[in-house]
Amino acid sequence: MRTRDPNKEALIREKAIELIVNHGFDGLSMHKLAKAAGVSVATIYIYFKDREDLIQQVYTDESRKMTEATLLNFDPDAHFDEGLKRQWINRMTYCLENPYSMTFMEQVKHSPLVERSTVDTRFLQAMQRFVHNAIDRKEIMPLPVEIYWSIAFAPLYQLVKFHIAGKSMPGRPPFIFDEEKINLTLGLVLKALKP
Amino acid sequence: MNDHRITEAFVLVFKTNISNPIQVKSIADTLNSCPDILKWNVDLADIDKVLRIEATHAQCGPVIELVTRAGYACEELTD
Repeated sequence: MRTRDPNKEALIREKAIELIVNHGFDGLSMHKLAKAAGVSVATIYIYFKDREDLIQQVYTDESRKMTEATLLNFDPDAHFDEGLKRQWINRMTYCLENPYSMTFMEQVKHSPLVERSTVDTRFLQAMQRFVHNAIDRKEIMPLPVEIYWSIAFAPLYQLVKFHIAGKSMPGRPPFIFDEEKINLTLGLVLKALKP
Repeated sequence: MNDHRITEAFVLVFKTNISNPIQVKSIADTLNSCPDILKWNVDLADIDKVLRIEATHAQCGPVIELVTRAGYACEELTD
């Protein structure tokens, strides 16, 4: 009989994400995870009932953390320009502080292992309200959500990826996504979304 | 009203040779009918075919006896 230890549990989750990011879902077994986290296999089973349960729990937890980070100081009733800037800063900060988590969340999107309907709805509700407000106030044009997302956020994520990788196109110097470049890109995005 | 205090279950972990869903099914009745066992599952994906049990007590002996009597190898998974 072993007792629960929150620090140990957090370490196991962290190592699980690293293993999945570096070796894919197939690269994660309870034995490999035990080795990576420096705990016994038996210890891992105290917290998780099997591999699927582990992946699902890690996903639910990461998605909650991401929601909290993204909604920090964000006002869904703010002017679109201001709100989007806050969103960019929050999302970028989260990605830079949790690079493994960002990649993990992307992997999960394409995996049948995870039930994504358990996702925190606070995030979705806040973002929907934000966009609908902006459309009602004629700050942006109405668009299908996929197109809206691709213009409003895909540029951010792509440039953050270049920044994290430290390189972009062949022959280009390391890409640093600094404030000047953020404002330049954000300005173009806002212009594109205006009615 | 009664004071429903929630006590945390004891997690017991065993290495077994229960290796497919049919074998899992064959011990289901035995484990389900044991009042000390709150929840159980066998991780067939794991090399040790880990039987994980949430029980009302911390004794491994009774579980090992149940599973062994059903015809499977079962030992405590130790550190």
